[in-house]
Amino acid sequence: MKRKLVLVLLLPIVMIYNACDDYLDVVPDGLATVDKIFNLRQEAEKYLFTCYSYMPRLGNLRRNAGFLAGDEMWVPDNRENGDYFALEIALGRQRVANPYYDVWQGEYQGGLPFDGSEIWDGIRHCNIFIQNMSDPSNVPDITPTERERWIAEVKFLKAYYHFYLMRHYGAIPIIKENVSVDAPTPSFDVSRDPYDEGITYIIGLLDEAAAVLPPVIADINTEYGRITSVIAKSLKARILVTAASPLYNGNPDLSVMINKDGTPLYNTAFEASKWEIAADAAKEAIDAAEAAGLRLYKFNKASTGFNLTDTTVTKLSIRNAITDPESFEVIWPNTQSLTDGADGLQASAMAPLEVGHNTRVARKVISPTITMAKLFYTDNGVPITEDKAYDFNDILELREAQPDERYNIEEGYRTSRLNFDREPRFYADLGFDGSMWYKRDALGDETKWHIEGKFGQYSGSDHPFFFNETGYYCKKLVNWRMTFSNDGGTFENYAWPEMRLADLYLLYAEALNEIQGPTAEVYSYLDQIRERAGLDGVVESWAAHSNNPSKPLSKEGLRSIIQQERMIELAFEGQRYWDLLRWKRAVQEFNDNVQGWNINGDDEASYYQIRTIHIQNFISPRDYFWPLSETSLIRNTNLVQNPGW
Amino acid sequence: MINYYLKKQRLRPILSLWFLCFILATYDVQASGGKDYDSTSYPDQSVITGTVYDGSTKNEPLIGVTVLEKGTGNGTVTDFDGNYSIRVAPGSTLVFSFVGFETKEVVVSDQKTIDVSLNLDQEALEETVVIAFGGKQLKESQVSSIATINPAELKGPTNNLTNMIAGRVPGMISFQRSGEPGADNSDFFIRGLSTFGSGKRNPLILIDNIESTSTDLARLQPDDIDTFSVLKDAAAASVYGARGANGVILITTKSGKAGKAKFSARAASRVSTNTDNFQFADNITYMNLANEAALTRDPLAALPYSRIKIDRTAAGDNPYLYPSNNWIDQILKDYTINQSFNISASGGSERARYYVSGTYNVDNGILDVNSINNFNSNIKLQNYSLRSKLDIDLTSTTSATVNIYGQFDDYNGPIANGGDIIASTVNANPVAFPAIFPSEFYPIAEHPLFGNAPLSLSSNALYVNPYAEMVKGYRTTKNSTVQAQLLIDQKLDFITEGLKIGTMNYIRRYNTYSISRAYNPFYYQASRNPVDNSVMLRVLNDGTQSSIGLPGTEFLNLAGGENQSNSRLYNQFTLNYDKTFNERHVVSAFLINVLQSFETTDYSNLQQSLQYRNHTFSGRFTYAFDRRYIAEFSFGYNGSERFDRTNRYGFFPSFGVSYILSNEAFFEKWKDTFTNLKLRFTYGKAGNDEIGNEDEDRFFYLSRVNPNSGDFGAVFGQDYNYYRPGVSIDRYANSNIGWEISEQYNFGIDIGLWRNLNITAEVYRQKRTNILQRRTEIGDVIGLTADPQVNFAELESKGIDLSLDYNKQINQDWWTQARATLTFATNEVKQTNELNYPDDLSYLSKVGNNASQMYGYLAERLFTDQEEVNNTPTQFGNYTGGDIKYRDVNGDGVITPLDQVPIGLPTTPELIYGFGGTVGYKDFDLSIFFQGSARSSFQIDPRAISPFVLGTGDDTGRQNGLLKAIADSYWSEDNRDLYAFWPRLSSTIIENNVQSSSWWLQNNDFLRLKNLELGYRASEKLTESLGLRSLRIYASGINLAVWSSFKLWDPEMGGNGLGYPIQSTYNLGVQFDF
Repeated sequence: MKRKLVLVLLLPIVMIYNACDDYLDVVPDGLATVDKIFNLRQEAEKYLFTCYSYMPRLGNLRRNAGFLAGDEMWVPDNRENGDYFALEIALGRQRVANPYYDVWQGEYQGGLPFDGSEIWDGIRHCNIFIQNMSDPSNVPDITPTERERWIAEVKFLKAYYHFYLMRHYGAIPIIKENVSVDAPTPSFDVSRDPYDEGITYIIGLLDEAAAVLPPVIADINTEYGRITSVIAKSLKARILVTAASPLYNGNPDLSVMINKDGTPLYNTAFEASKWEIAADAAKEAIDAAEAAGLRLYKFNKASTGFNLTDTTVTKLSIRNAITDPESFEVIWPNTQSLTDGADGLQASAMAPLEVGHNTRVARKVISPTITMAKLFYTDNGVPITEDKAYDFNDILELREAQPDERYNIEEGYRTSRLNFDREPRFYADLGFDGSMWYKRDALGDETKWHIEGKFGQYSGSDHPFFFNETGYYCKKLVNWRMTFSNDGGTFENYAWPEMRLADLYLLYAEALNEIQGPTAEVYSYLDQIRERAGLDGVVESWAAHSNNPSKPLSKEGLRSIIQQERMIELAFEGQRYWDLLRWKRAVQEFNDNVQGWNINGDDEASYYQIRTIHIQNFISPRDYFWPLSETSLIRNTNLVQNPGW
Repeated sequence: MINYYLKKQRLRPILSLWFLCFILATYDVQASGGKDYDSTSYPDQSVITGTVYDGSTKNEPLIGVTVLEKGTGNGTVTDFDGNYSIRVAPGSTLVFSFVGFETKEVVVSDQKTIDVSLNLDQEALEETVVIAFGGKQLKESQVSSIATINPAELKGPTNNLTNMIAGRVPGMISFQRSGEPGADNSDFFIRGLSTFGSGKRNPLILIDNIESTSTDLARLQPDDIDTFSVLKDAAAASVYGARGANGVILITTKSGKAGKAKFSARAASRVSTNTDNFQFADNITYMNLANEAALTRDPLAALPYSRIKIDRTAAGDNPYLYPSNNWIDQILKDYTINQSFNISASGGSERARYYVSGTYNVDNGILDVNSINNFNSNIKLQNYSLRSKLDIDLTSTTSATVNIYGQFDDYNGPIANGGDIIASTVNANPVAFPAIFPSEFYPIAEHPLFGNAPLSLSSNALYVNPYAEMVKGYRTTKNSTVQAQLLIDQKLDFITEGLKIGTMNYIRRYNTYSISRAYNPFYYQASRNPVDNSVMLRVLNDGTQSSIGLPGTEFLNLAGGENQSNSRLYNQFTLNYDKTFNERHVVSAFLINVLQSFETTDYSNLQQSLQYRNHTFSGRFTYAFDRRYIAEFSFGYNGSERFDRTNRYGFFPSFGVSYILSNEAFFEKWKDTFTNLKLRFTYGKAGNDEIGNEDEDRFFYLSRVNPNSGDFGAVFGQDYNYYRPGVSIDRYANSNIGWEISEQYNFGIDIGLWRNLNITAEVYRQKRTNILQRRTEIGDVIGLTADPQVNFAELESKGIDLSLDYNKQINQDWWTQARATLTFATNEVKQTNELNYPDDLSYLSKVGNNASQMYGYLAERLFTDQEEVNNTPTQFGNYTGGDIKYRDVNGDGVITPLDQVPIGLPTTPELIYGFGGTVGYKDFDLSIFFQGSARSSFQIDPRAISPFVLGTGDDTGRQNGLLKAIADSYWSEDNRDLYAFWPRLSSTIIENNVQSSSWWLQNNDFLRLKNLELGYRASEKLTESLGLRSLRIYASGINLAVWSSFKLWDPEMGGNGLGYPIQSTYNLGVQFDF
């Protein structure tokens, strides 16, 4: 009996110890690892998309510092509607502890693709992808052509992500190869690379990419938004123009930027050749774009079936160049940054046009400043300060809209002098108290909707946080097919245009003027843009209407005209801030007052008063670059801080 | 035992009702089990005298021996010379009893003098302690640090055992942060917090050697506990290497004893109330200060409350137009009644013994739910458990134990948890709307007419109506734990004497599921009808175009639920050897092999879904010589599935020696004073494999990749619909990661004095190394999507455990017991992964500080005015006079996180103590127990109590209430008190004022009257007449009073002050065994 029991007891022990060896091996085969991703095309495609996922969301009001860090537009500084951290920069509150819109550490709305994630991660993914895909034994089921194309796309992204960082921080460490996770600690302390070396490296990547990529997307159903050679060449043009601009080309302020090992980070001597290679790149990009069928957008009146006036058609050409999802002017649509939805860019710009329109889809928080309203030309195509025919000195003067102005301003409505006699782009881009807002659902009746913006009126600013700060509204960013419904509204979605042809033309004109001064070629690119905007050419407009008629004939005068043309044409697209920085004009422009109409006024007398929203204080040279956070500097002692921070 | 816990006058009806029940119950018992009491008297009684001696070598008289006539209350006590005198009849029996000696009975014949010698009670001397893996050890030969608590100590008027631990167990740091039934478990750490990794920090809990959760411990009935021990040092716990590093709580439940069936029953009903209610300002002050808060920040701001509204509310005008709520009174009851029932039976034959017990507990919440629905959303936690233990001697050398345990929780409560309802209550606007309108306002509606209002004139959001939140629906949750355990032991004396093998296996399954059902409340707003001045109602959320907020429904919807299970399978084999040679050499050895695996559905990725497994091979060898010198060696060789093959196993040795001075021959002369004197020393190691973040980290040697991450996808195509998810790398592989190791030294001394007083003191030092940490020093530029982890940090902790027991029978009528414990535990970070701070920022380094040290800014005082603000370093956001002024520690002209310094004491208390005792007089006893905590700090969360601030995100519609303490002391333009409790008012969060800073620092020291009990034990006469074995009546209370410098809420709740309050309970009760 006892012996039997002992055996019974011993039996399970024998069983257990037989199995014991493997007892702790619980991990089955087939767990996901990085290596497994590169076994099949289907999985590798996801990795390609991962590289794309870090694309900056520049079509998002909160995630494009260009919108809010300068003086182009304002938003209510009101926490109930969530924070706008780029606005904190415009308010002069940037700081080294937890910097706002911190792209470097991926915090305060500077994170990609979301806060807590950094664009540096995207660069690391790009390197992993390029390294793995370059090994032909990986992803055996992909064709060599497609493999090359994918690698080229990721090289482009790697270049773009570096450039995006350089825009904010100037010289940065260039991550050509990843640092291994297991590397000893000192190898993590990378230092900045000289700016020009960085530019050379990323231009090299773009050249390699452009050589392989297709010029146009054939399969628009699944690939629209992917990178083409035209995009690569266009970005190259933008980067080289930036590098040739005064901020980076011979800027003595940057002589203090020296690495801890003594390496200077900037060449502080001006080099004219930088403009030359920039102009060549811009021309190459324009030629490639035009060869790919891209051209300045013109609205096709016939497609509507409505009998629209020329005034309206011109305005639609201007608006739809950006907001038409099929605009043939857009070189680079960013499909990672769409603009519809209740919290989208279009809803932030849209205003209620009737009592009862829902403020959730018509938030009207994007508030262009009076500075921007003054920037646009007169209907003679010259600046308001130069036009011989008009006097805009007293903008508090009110006037009543005449019948022939009814396609721009509600007939009989009284509004500021500033809002009369302006160029079509003023009326296309801006809304204001009394201005028309033509939408497709007005059908042929172009005078159906208009803004009434005084306090208590339907577009007025009485909502606690969805209100307009300046009395100017941004029509430019809203597609004309927007409709209201009982409980909200719907927007025609469009992908944010990172780059369009007009931008390239202006970059080329700018670079060419720096090399050659005024020439017919420079004028021709400007005039093509002015023509689409319903204006005469530069030379004839200035000759006929300006009190400074010879301005376009000198290099300096033309530079000023090109810059103004650029700021008007690309208004509210988040370009002005970066342009003013690279021209080193920020210290003049961003020390002005941010102004709007008195949105709390409920009648003409009280509403048409100038209200100063913020007194700007741009400190040079400090505010030309983002600060590195103080913790980044403690963490990596080889990094040097930007000047003034 | 039947208990009733009473607090307030209004409970008198309940009290009377209870007495009625009690009388009925008593009657019932009499009817079924009572027998007639036959009173007999003996007329020819005579006086017996005598002396009682110590029966050991000395033969000295014994003082205070109880002498009783058996079966009666007639008795006496020996005097200082050991003499006694008692009047009894011949033929009766005298019983002589004394603590520490065997009881002796003598039948009285015709002698007049009876001298008696009492022998030392060998059983008491051979008091055992429970050690690892079900073993027992003579207390005398204990070397390592094991604290044993009498389970009776843990009885108290609470249905949560974990709340009885604080102050009663030397070496245990424990605190309770919430009083919500089902969420009121105390946090406890053995010898303080000894690691700061993100993994397991609390002790291993073993109930009958089954790994259990703190909720299992909470549900355990003190009635069922046989032994309760705490293994504190590595020498005791090293055999549990895989989990033992944080200490082990070892509990065994009762077993049956051979004999006639014995029953024990207990029924309890108690009243519990909040220890401390929050004090809010009255509603008129609320409105005036809300106006001030708006104006003081912006002189042009619109006033939230008009003068008319304030005046009319103050005048008590129509309550629907000018609502004025005291939400706490409307939502919370003053008290709630809980019940607890327990019955057990034990008995059996010599060969098979059983112990069966069943428990039913009901804990109710303090929500005041009216009967507007037929479902009740007050919190009700019902708990059923059934325990059955069967010990069978299969043969003379083989024994088996079958242990079946089922434990079931049924929870019913509001959709949100109770803490959430409390949060809605204290954060509800008191004057914007009434809780509910009478149904007469809108007779055709079948739904309740809840009050509400939009957050502002043009807002699309409504306030949160806490009353509607409470009653709009209910959630039921059911938890089940079932475990079956089988033990078999076989003596192998036929191989060699003292050899034994055994096996223990168990399986344990746990499941929980919950279902929520709720309707969307309809909300109404009242206005005055201009025509006839009557009150009109307007529906706010009927779903039409002007509707605000979520449209109401009249029907219930399913509002979510969850379902989770886990399973544990355990297999153990042991080999034991015990033998004594030559009566002086005691040798014992044991070896054990354990395999256990655990699987849970509570996973968020594939790696977590895999089985958790451990293999343990461990042993212990002891040698004792002549009851004087004892040496012990143990080891654990443990494997964990989490680590790479190369360092999967950890070896954790330990040894200890002890020296019993009092058993030395030369000690004999002091033996009267020092009944026991023993020195102990141990050194050992223990491991911890539950490291890292439980939700994310396992298999550190593997990378973790999510190949379908929605966060990193991208979309292409003209219609934006060619989407592919992306890849995220959530962990980088590191095959070097292994065990967290605890290395401990323990020195203890046990002192027994005059047979009455036992003192145990221990000092220890523990070094925790290989604490897993993230490498946060790697810069962003490297682009790692997850911080690599390493075994890097080190923490050293040390402390003192002290316990004191005193027992004394003063004379026949008086006896007393006293007990005190003190636990001091502190720690210091020795090494941690942090930024390489330059010398001038060295104060930011955590090295040298306590692991739970807080960091914050040094608040100097409030700013006097804007001018001062302009002339001092920049701080945070918008701020002005009356906001907090911080010190610029590094002098860089701006206040940044680099100015944060260590502030206050650790958040985990360093000192926990308890003291109390019992005094008995005849049949009465009075017990009192105090518990205290010291050397810790906490910060008030200023965001949570900033008055008038509207919630955002999930808290939209909540608006913080105005604590009276703020209304009484705040900075205002008229009263610029630079040291006021609250800075300048604001109706939004002022970022500057909510930073972690010394401004909000509070001392968390407190002393609590934890328990008070007055009892009466019925005489044997009465007991017998009722057919019972014992009967006791008593009144008691828990958490009766607290002394602390912090007054806003119960200090034990720390920063969680506006959560569910800790409960006080009061009772009056009866207990009987039969």
